[in-house]
Formats: sequence, structure tokens, C-alpha cells
Amino acid sequence: MPFVRLLIVACILLIAAWMPPARSETTRQAMPETMDMLRHAIATQTVEGKNQVPVFAQYLAGKLESAGFSKSDIEIIPVEHTAALVVHYRGSDSKLKPILISGHMDVVAANPKDWQRDPFKLIEENGYLYGRGVADMKTNIITLVETFMRLKREGFVPKREMILVFSGDEETDMASTRELAKRYHDAEFLLNADAGGGTLDAEGKPVLFEIQAAEKSYADFLLTVTSPGGHSSEPNPSHNAIYKLAKALDAVAAHQFPVQHNEITLASLKALGTHESGALAEAMRTFAAHPDDARAAAVISADPAYVGQIRTTCVATMLDGGHALNALPQRADANINCRIFPGVSVASVKATLAKVIDNPAVSITVRPPPPVESPASPLRPDVMKAVSATIHERFPGVDVVPGMSSGATDSMHFRNAGVPCFGVSPNFAKANDTFAHGLNEKLPAKEVPAALDYWHSLLTRVTR
Amino acid sequence: MSTHRTLLLGSLILALGCSPLLAAETTAQAMPEYMDMLNHTISVETVKGKEQVPTLARYFADKLEAAGFARSDIETIPVGRTVALVVRYRGSGKGKPFIVHGHMDVVPANASGWKDHEPFKLVKDGPYYYGRGVADMKDQTVALVETFMRLKREGFVPRRDIILTLTGDEETDEFTAEEVAKRYHDAEFALDADGWSGEYDANLKPVMFGVVAAEKGYADFLITATSPGGHSSEPNPDNAIYKLSAAMQKIAAHKFPVQYNGITLASFKAMSARMQGPLAEALRRFAEHPGDAKAAAVISANPAYVGQIRTTCVATEFSSGHARNALPEKATANVNCRIFPGCTVAAVQQQLQRAVADPAIEVSVQDPAPVLGPISYPVLPQVMAAVTQAVRQRFPGIEVIPVMIPASSDSRHFRNHGVPTYGVSPAFAKPGDVHAHGYNERILASELPASLDFWHELLPALAK
Repeated sequence: MPFVRLLIVACILLIAAWMPPARSETTRQAMPETMDMLRHAIATQTVEGKNQVPVFAQYLAGKLESAGFSKSDIEIIPVEHTAALVVHYRGSDSKLKPILISGHMDVVAANPKDWQRDPFKLIEENGYLYGRGVADMKTNIITLVETFMRLKREGFVPKREMILVFSGDEETDMASTRELAKRYHDAEFLLNADAGGGTLDAEGKPVLFEIQAAEKSYADFLLTVTSPGGHSSEPNPSHNAIYKLAKALDAVAAHQFPVQHNEITLASLKALGTHESGALAEAMRTFAAHPDDARAAAVISADPAYVGQIRTTCVATMLDGGHALNALPQRADANINCRIFPGVSVASVKATLAKVIDNPAVSITVRPPPPVESPASPLRPDVMKAVSATIHERFPGVDVVPGMSSGATDSMHFRNAGVPCFGVSPNFAKANDTFAHGLNEKLPAKEVPAALDYWHSLLTRVTR
Repeated sequence: MSTHRTLLLGSLILALGCSPLLAAETTAQAMPEYMDMLNHTISVETVKGKEQVPTLARYFADKLEAAGFARSDIETIPVGRTVALVVRYRGSGKGKPFIVHGHMDVVPANASGWKDHEPFKLVKDGPYYYGRGVADMKDQTVALVETFMRLKREGFVPRRDIILTLTGDEETDEFTAEEVAKRYHDAEFALDADGWSGEYDANLKPVMFGVVAAEKGYADFLITATSPGGHSSEPNPDNAIYKLSAAMQKIAAHKFPVQYNGITLASFKAMSARMQGPLAEALRRFAEHPGDAKAAAVISANPAYVGQIRTTCVATEFSSGHARNALPEKATANVNCRIFPGCTVAAVQQQLQRAVADPAIEVSVQDPAPVLGPISYPVLPQVMAAVTQAVRQRFPGIEVIPVMIPASSDSRHFRNHGVPTYGVSPAFAKPGDVHAHGYNERILASELPASLDFWHELLPALAK
């Protein structure tokens, strides 16, 4: 090959090596498309019973296809009246197990009459976005889709395959989640955009960022007592279903499940202990260092917000008994809602309840759907590092700590299927500021560009 | 005046005096007409909401007019969407009138729960007649109408007015009873045919006949506990369900003071004479030494008798919670009370509040506002004598005693307006055999002609 030709080839190669950055998009450039999609997403009423999830999935699929994803890499899986959406972003090394990125397309119901604004219309006001799903979790669905489109347009090729796994009934039956976990359990790990996240203090300063690495199992138990009934003018206090159930509930109220811990809760309590002050913070620090310290456990247990971090908790949430004002009850029911520490079986919690109630006349059954027991996900330094680096781009120095949530997210099905899951939602919010599931759900508007930055940075980091 | 003329006049007077008897009908003769009317009456669905009471009242009015009652003596009083029917049987004297009372309405019947028969059709099956209202109380309402017709056709003229009052909402609002009682408060006494007077034993041997001279007051209290609510993963010991459970147990344990009156003492004495065992002994001792604590304890332990010596309150319904995974914000229970005559609703409310011993728990009186009534005791001697004689014509020697019943009826509206009122129903039944208000309501066929006999005997006896 003559030198000139070689030079030309070398130049071409050099230019080619520079090429990809030439097409890179800034977040600012990506914003209009993102907001447009988010507006459409909020307007699509993906609540149970309206059968709009498949429509929404089709919309997202169309967008992805137009950005360059091949039809064969986009899959819509119908599950009953809803659907799951799966998008493969093929990697260069097909020997590596893929990374899953999960979210859900459905939202909880919203009654427009109760809202100050139309819940199914994206409205920006006073620095907040309002609408059903802005916080839980259509903003992250859209920013993930946008990031996939953006990366694809930029010509980015990950080393490891990424797969978006979006469920369609996370808020209700999780049938689509179960289907996804069944099909995509052979993954390196899963990043869940619907768990974890950052906390802001009252002044809006970032406090810490939590990576959800474990969640408690969720189980509802039905307590039922029956009695012969009869006319209320002939009361028999020793055969009254309501009185018997009341006694059982007294016992449940008084019972405390044993103190437990794992690497995640210890790390999380340690971090929380350094951010808070006072007796509770001290107890958290003590517990993190000496998990057997009974006094520290007692202080933590006395706080409803933290007792679940060190114990299985069960609480009565519903009652129903009797059929007429003037008839003795023939039946009384109570629902006991339990949040079970990872590693503890549902069966053992049921056995404990039976022992505590100590009355064979009180029947105890596990309510459907069958609870899903999910192990804690072993912490991975690579994930911790990639997430920390990404968070620090926005908030340098903020603490990134693992955490255990009270459940129940899509992750439990994947953890149950053997996939380590990490909840890494990019959103920072003040405590109780988003009203997810409630009225007037909102999200600070600046979280949208922040999420675009975050996903772009995090996904390229973890798949390199 | 010649002896002859005197004799002639005497004969004439004698003939006049005998003339009613000339047209006398036997019960056997009256039965076809009675059964025909009962058959029609059962088919008119006089349940709340169907507005058929006015139709039935018109039917009775036409029948009575055809039997000879002046149109001006038949009055239909509209009250809301129902009516009362009042029929005046004019007497020859100036004595205070007396009232015979019944109701035309029935409780609803869900046809799917009736075993072999349609509820709104009179059907003979075995020794029973079936149909909604056949025992409560269209059997007696029609018997009273038939007896009025029969007496009128026979030419019977009472010495004072007899007023037949038939109400249209005894099973629900009792507005018509209040209206009628207000209008006819100057009656000397009232007989309420809506009683449970005659009792058979298992072998259909008559046991006793109770003249209902008092009824316990009926009141429903709403017990309300509240708590802040929140997410069930952060269980707060301040839980409305637990607070209500504690209150239920305290109400279960609470005993209202022992009380008695002339009626309960007389009925205990009579009942104990034909019973055996510790309960009989306790009833006897209580009747002799009212308030005897040991006897009271034995009686209180028996659900069927406790209401005869105390106000009783019992939890009949409770409910709480709005989601399985949310802490309750409110838990409520209905406590149904049967109040001993002489005790007030306010006093019972106060005692419940004291028993609950938690000022944060609200005890309120449920709507509609309870109406309590005084007792009608001692029973007017001429009523006791006439009723006893009428009952003993059928069952010689049977015990006729004043009783207090736990249920409420129209009677207390009359008692509240100063009219002594006695519940006397001639239909005997085995305990629990008639299924009043329930499925397959029925009455022994033998009780129908016996009822015609009874009223035909009793009304003239009291109108002398």
C-alpha cells in the first residue's frame, strides 16, 4: 500500500474515531421530545379497568422504532387486560449477561372530582409538574425511553446488552411482572427506576441517596371468627364473634416480632444515624455497630417510621363484622397486614400469629395473591460505584447508601427469580412531597432534565 | 198497662235483645271469607319502597264498607308514602273507646332464600301456611278486619266505640303509629295484636299466654375510634382498630345494674312454677326477693333471660379500614342496647362511655332517635279477665301472665301517649317456629280459626 493511500486511510480512520461525538445530543436538546412524550403519557389513562396499557406500550414502541430500534428488538407481551413492554438494546459482547432496567406503565386510579386539576393532563405550575403518574412513575418511564432513543441516535453501542422491562400492572396484580420475571431471570442484575432515590431536606438540600437492595415481603392475613348469631335481645358475650376477634387483635397489637438485621439495614441505619440527631440517631448508630443492643432496638422500635427496618411488623388494617344492627354477629373478619423481614417465611409469620392469638376459634389464612418472598440482593461494588459517580455529577459528595424498603415493588418478583435488584430512581424529593397514589400527585419540574442526565450517564457507565 | 201488653212488650224487648244472635255466624262460616282475604293480603307486597300499603288499606276499607260500616267511620290517614287505616265501630254508650291495633306492612323477602314457596303467595304445606306476613302479622290484621265485618253483620252493637287502627310502617319508621297514637290518645286502653303471646312446647302443648305489658327500649349506639392513619409499613401503635378492640372487650365485660318491675316479678313467679333446675330456682328466688344477687347472677348467665333483669348492650357490627395496606383512620362499631323500662337512653350512653373508659372514643346515639315507653302495669283488671276468659275457651286452665318482651312494636307509641297497651296475639307457636322476618315465614293452620274465635269472643266482652 503506497504511503499516500495509507495516510488517507489513517485519516479516515481518525475521522471515523471522532465521528460518534459529533451526533451526541445535549439534555437540553432532548427535553422538548421528552416533555411531549410525558404529556402524552399522562393523558393515557393507564389505570386498572381502562385497558390503556397496551395502547401506551404501542406508543412507546413506535417512538423507539423511529429512533432506530429494530422491530424484532421490541416486544409487547399481552398479559390479561394489560401488557408488558420489552426493549432490547443489543450489546457488542453477546457472552455477557444483560442488565435489566425495570419500570411500570400503569398508574393508580384518580378521581378527577377530587383533584384540584385534571389528573390526566400534565400541568406545570410553580416549579412542579402535576398529574397522575408524574412521580409514580411515568416520568421515569419516559426519561428511560428517551435515553434509549437518544443513545441509539448517538450511535452508542453498549458492551453488555440492556433490556427495558416495563410492567403493566405493578399497582394491582403484578401479573405482567411475574411474566417478565419468568422470561428474563437470566440477567446480571436489575436496575429498578421505581425504587430507591434521593431525599431532600425541608430547605431542598440533598440529604442522601438510597439504593434499594432489599424489600420486605408483603402479606395480608385474614382473621375470621364465627359465632352462632341470633337476636341481639339475647346477647351471649362468650359467643360473640366481634368480642373474640377483639381479643385476638389485642394480642396482635401487643406482639413484637424479633429484632433482625442484614448488611443493607446496618449500612442504611449507620448512614441515617449520621444524618439525624437526637436519641433516635444515636440508637441507629449504636445498632449499626452492635446489632444486639436491646436498648437501641427499643428506641428504633418505638418509631413507626423505623421499626420496620429491624423487625417484621404486622398491623390490623381492616375490620368487618355483623350483618344487621339488631342481630348478633355470625362472623367477624380482620385484615392483618404484615411486612416480613427478608429471609423470614410467610408460613412462620402465620405460625407466630396463631401462637400469639392462642385461640383455635380464630382462623388465620393468607390472603391472595400469594405473597412473594424476596431475598435481600447482595451488594455489588460495581453498581454502588456507578450509581455514586452518577449521583455525584448532580450532587457532589452526597451519601449514597443501600436501603431496605417496606415493599412491594416489581423487584420482588425478580429477586424471587434470582436476579439481584437495585432500586435507583433518579428523583430527589422532600419527604411526603409527591403524593404518589394520592391527590394532586406532583414532581419538581427540574427532576425531568436531571433524570435525562442521570440515565444517560448511568446506563453508559454500567454497560461499558 | 195491661198484663197482656206488658207481656207483649217484654217479648218484643226480648226479641230485640236476641235479634243480633239471629244473624250469628260461626267461625266455620267466616273462614272462607277470611282465607280469601288473607290470600289476597299476602299477595299485596306491603314492603317499604313498594308503596302498596295504601292499596291494601283501600281493599280493607271496601270490604268493611260492604259489611255495613259507614264510609264516614273508615278513615285513611296518609303519612309520607304509607297510610294508616282507622275504622270506628260505633258504640251505644259514652264510655271511653278502646283500640285494637295491628299493622299492614311486612319486612322485605328475598325470594331466592325461600325454600319451596314464593314469599308473596299464601301456600299450605303440611300443618303450616307459608308466606311473608303470615305470622307477622297479616294473619291477625285480616282476623281483626274479618271480626269487625262479622260482628257488624251479626248486628252487634258495642257499649262503647271500638277503634281498629292498622298502621303502615311498623317494620320500619313507625311514623303511622305515632300519628295514630297522637290522634287517639283518649282511648281507655289498646290491644296490640302484634304480640308473641301464646307458647306451645315441642309437642304442641300450650305452655302459657303472655299479655305483653312492657317492652324494652331499643337503641343503637355508634362507637367510634379514630387514629392518624398512614402507610401500613409504618405501623403506629395509635391504631383505631386496636382502640376499638379494647373498647369492645370492655363493653363485653360491662354489666348494667339489675332491675325489676311488677311484670317481670309476676312472670318469673309463673315461669318458675313450671320449670325445673337452677334457673327455675333463681327465677323463683328473684321473684320473692327482688334483686337477690346470687339469683341475678344465674339469670344473667342465660342469654334468653338476662334481658329480663338488666339493660343489655351487645356489639352487633363493626367495620374499619379503607385499604389492606393502609393504617385505619377510623373504626366504628354498633352496640345494640335493650333498655330496661325506666332507664333513659342518655343514662345508657353515659354508662357505655364510662365502661369504655377512653375519652377519645366517641359514643353516640344512632338515628333514628330511640323512642322508649313506660310499662302498662298493673294490667287493667277487666282486660286481664276478658283476655284470660277468651284464651281459656280454647285452652282451659292455661296460665295468662303479664310479660315484658325484648322487642319493640307500635305499642310504645300508644303507651307514650298515655294509653295502657297490651300485646295479645291469639296465634300460639313453638319458640323459633314461625321465622318472622326470616325465610319461610309460617304459621300453624290451626291458629287461623282459633284467632277468629278469640277476637269474636274478646271484643264484645270488652265492649260490654
